[in-house]
Amino acid sequence: MTGWEVLIQQSINGLTRGAVFALIALGYTMVYGIIELINFAHGDVFMLGLFISLAWFTLLGVTGTLTGWQLLTVLPLVFVLTMLTTATLNVAIDRVAYRPLRRSTRLAPLITAIGVSFMLENVALLWKGPAPIAYPDVFPSFDILREWFGVDSAIFLTSKDLLVVAATLPLMVALHYFVTRTRWGKAMRATAQDRETAQAMGINVERTILITFFVGGALAGAAGLIQGMYYNIGQWWMGYQAGLRAFTAAVLGGIGSMSGAALGGLVIGFLSAWSDQYISARWTNAIVFSILIVVLVFRPHGLLGERTADKA
Amino acid sequence: MRESLGPPALVVALLVYPFVDRALGLQTVHAVSDGMIYVLLALGLNIVVGYAGLLDLGYAAFFAIGAYAMGLLNSPVLGSPLYGHAWSFWLCIWLAAAVSALLGLVIGAPTLRVRGDYLAIITLGFGEIIPVAIRNLGDVTIEIGTWRPIERLNLTGGENGVNPVGRPVLPGVPFETDPVPWYFLILVVGALSLWAMSRLRDSRLGRAWMAIREDETAADCTGVNPVSTKLLAFALGASFSGFAGSIYAAKLQAITPGAFEFQVSIMLLCMVVLGGAGSLKGVILGGMLITVFDRIVLSQSTFLVRSIGRTVGVPALAAIDLTLWRWFFFGLGLVLVMLLRPQGLAGRRVQPVAADAEGDQPLAPEPSSLPRVEAIPMWLRERMTRAAAQEEAILDVRGVSKAFGGVVALNAVDLVVPRGAIIGLIGPNGAGKTTFFNVVTGLARTDGGRITFAGGSLIGLRPNAIVARGIARTFQSIRLFPYMSVLDNVLVGEHCRLAATVAGAVLRPPAVIAEERRARERARGLLAFVGLSGKDDDLARNLPYGDQRRLEIARALATEPRLLLLDEPTAGMNPRETETLTDLIGLLRRELTLSILLIEHDMEVVMGISDRITVLDYGTRIAEGTPAEIQRHPRVIEAYLGTGYEREPAVPSP
Repeated sequence: MTGWEVLIQQSINGLTRGAVFALIALGYTMVYGIIELINFAHGDVFMLGLFISLAWFTLLGVTGTLTGWQLLTVLPLVFVLTMLTTATLNVAIDRVAYRPLRRSTRLAPLITAIGVSFMLENVALLWKGPAPIAYPDVFPSFDILREWFGVDSAIFLTSKDLLVVAATLPLMVALHYFVTRTRWGKAMRATAQDRETAQAMGINVERTILITFFVGGALAGAAGLIQGMYYNIGQWWMGYQAGLRAFTAAVLGGIGSMSGAALGGLVIGFLSAWSDQYISARWTNAIVFSILIVVLVFRPHGLLGERTADKA
Repeated sequence: MRESLGPPALVVALLVYPFVDRALGLQTVHAVSDGMIYVLLALGLNIVVGYAGLLDLGYAAFFAIGAYAMGLLNSPVLGSPLYGHAWSFWLCIWLAAAVSALLGLVIGAPTLRVRGDYLAIITLGFGEIIPVAIRNLGDVTIEIGTWRPIERLNLTGGENGVNPVGRPVLPGVPFETDPVPWYFLILVVGALSLWAMSRLRDSRLGRAWMAIREDETAADCTGVNPVSTKLLAFALGASFSGFAGSIYAAKLQAITPGAFEFQVSIMLLCMVVLGGAGSLKGVILGGMLITVFDRIVLSQSTFLVRSIGRTVGVPALAAIDLTLWRWFFFGLGLVLVMLLRPQGLAGRRVQPVAADAEGDQPLAPEPSSLPRVEAIPMWLRERMTRAAAQEEAILDVRGVSKAFGGVVALNAVDLVVPRGAIIGLIGPNGAGKTTFFNVVTGLARTDGGRITFAGGSLIGLRPNAIVARGIARTFQSIRLFPYMSVLDNVLVGEHCRLAATVAGAVLRPPAVIAEERRARERARGLLAFVGLSGKDDDLARNLPYGDQRRLEIARALATEPRLLLLDEPTAGMNPRETETLTDLIGLLRRELTLSILLIEHDMEVVMGISDRITVLDYGTRIAEGTPAEIQRHPRVIEAYLGTGYEREPAVPSP
């Protein structure tokens, strides 16, 4: 491979990674926007999303590659089932661990969030064991450039890359529509700006928070399913790693900003892929966290976030 | 009785324990010593989390730094910079603490300005980076094209860690073969640390940490520098961690990066939270409980459950391993403690709030003791009269502007406070009065103009520096330190007039003891002056509303101000309390030549005691003059007072 081909290949890689980060980052940014909580357990909901989607495939009797009509029926069904499961899980987490602490100090729910994260990781550890779990190759995998266009190149652009984009884009468009065009979305934006005023205007704040957790959990579930189909591997600690990268993405984009989370996810995706290639995969985590620290210190409102003053 | 018997009994038990252990052949000294290292770590974390209220999720990184400082300098294999010449353990332990504290400062300095939950994430990121860096620095190769300036350089031992690490050498003490000397070494270090921590807690520095934890803005406006105070907590916490890490490395004889992962930070956080953040006893208790749970309860109950499983014949139970659930239980513990007992096992039980800070509940029925001239503390009187200088205007504000986005909160406002004068600042809601206070006290930055106080410019100064210059304030919505005692609230006010350093606070030389005693006498004097005698130990949040207002004034006076800024001091008070407070303000000016700038909506108060009044409307000064002039001023009547307020018919419009 020439230098350019490596760069293009790693950029394709970065794009798919980034799409998954973006989906997770949206959950962080939505929850932070509305209750100013870093939902530490969110990455683990994503990880459980992967295992739960695997369980749904198994329940539906899918063990091998989906073909033809199955792609149009079973796959969307598993998407919906997985997203519903993780959304419900996310709402339950909020109910049990965060809601009783709404009027408490800022750090109290953050501490419970860390506790929940540990519990979820260990549930997965005890459920699936410490070794990596093979995720069946449910989505047909082939090189699009070769199969569809007859181009013989060193660069691989696979059907799975296409799947990631084809699954992520509609979800983001739907989310954008939901937030900007529906009543519930309007309630979310109002609550995020000023919870008390929103309440005074007759918005049911608790229900709005519930919806936020529901949507965030659904997106994390979708991300887990996509991750599983793309990489064919799952492990109990992956939620912590992916969660931190996605949170970095949310912060980089500007926490509270939806388009910022999407942009931040892509940027972190590209940077981590390039770092793996050009520096060393061993250092990628350190690089991502350094970005996180630098952004938080020097530009806490991120790339697209609004500069907000601390409420005095 | 228990008070007097407990500590000596505990000391005897701790001293006798290893010998009893040996006599009975229990062989638990190793495990207990390791547990004590973690308790020491938890105590260090408590300074950061419990006292200063900063959530540190990467504390294990400092543990790692301490351990590696010891390992790298003291190992006969990797050796010190003088390769292969291991440095003495007794030197390295101090170096390790110093290196940890230094890194605490380096990490803290840029990051402590960010908000609490962001800080938590930054420390988490730091905690992730350190083990990664330690792993990767064991094998460094830099390759640029074909040029390899550095090839396979081993700085840290990489994944394999450092092995062996040198032991301490003390003539006649068998550190190599016997766990008992280790036990006593850790016991001594732990006891000394505990002693130092308890002294720090009860010092000027401890009060500053807690003030920051309670309300950073209010602390800043009471003369506590938030950045340096937080940095100190961070560095001290890190240095205790460095001690613990260095002993850990030497005791274990081998260290690997895996021993300092995120989970360790969380386990330490569990100890602090479970026991009760901010309570030394609580953290020790939490540390012991978690260590016992982790090392004994989990494994023993595994045996128990397995034997039950075998006898009952359930294979799932017979094969269970509860130690695998370890981190699940830690997570569960964090959630349960926060939900059920957020103050921890040993934390102070908090009474329900007596005053809900709203000001609508019944006020104290007792008529508050009227402020009397004799009650003015002598030292305050001396300070004030000594400080009296010649300049006419103590505060001179010229053309100050402030805009928030497109909203102009202040538009080229001029205001002069002559020495010893009471100046009223009035205007409709949203006129910019509080913004003006914020600009003068440094909470908000001016967009332009000059602010001169006692001859020096205040532009660009942080609030605590402005307090040190001699401006104190109260807040429209009372901002006390709710979970600190009444006396401590006032003592925080004295912070910037006291001098004790870390060494002074721990060693308590006569000068520091005298300073602290004087500070307490003064604080009690001030409390008596505002009518709060005998409430020293009440929590500030439990005071009735009117008392909270007066406590805030006492705290402001404790900073020895020359100018006092009062933001609606009589808001929410009944007529009698209002009258008491008005008398108090008059007294301060008359007896102490204290200059006062007053925001007030009660026209009777403001017209009664002000020498001159400035009126703001939409951020612009629309009038300035004596109370009588202001009452007749047509624009003031139109914008604020309304037509009912004129005593005489307004000047007929031309």
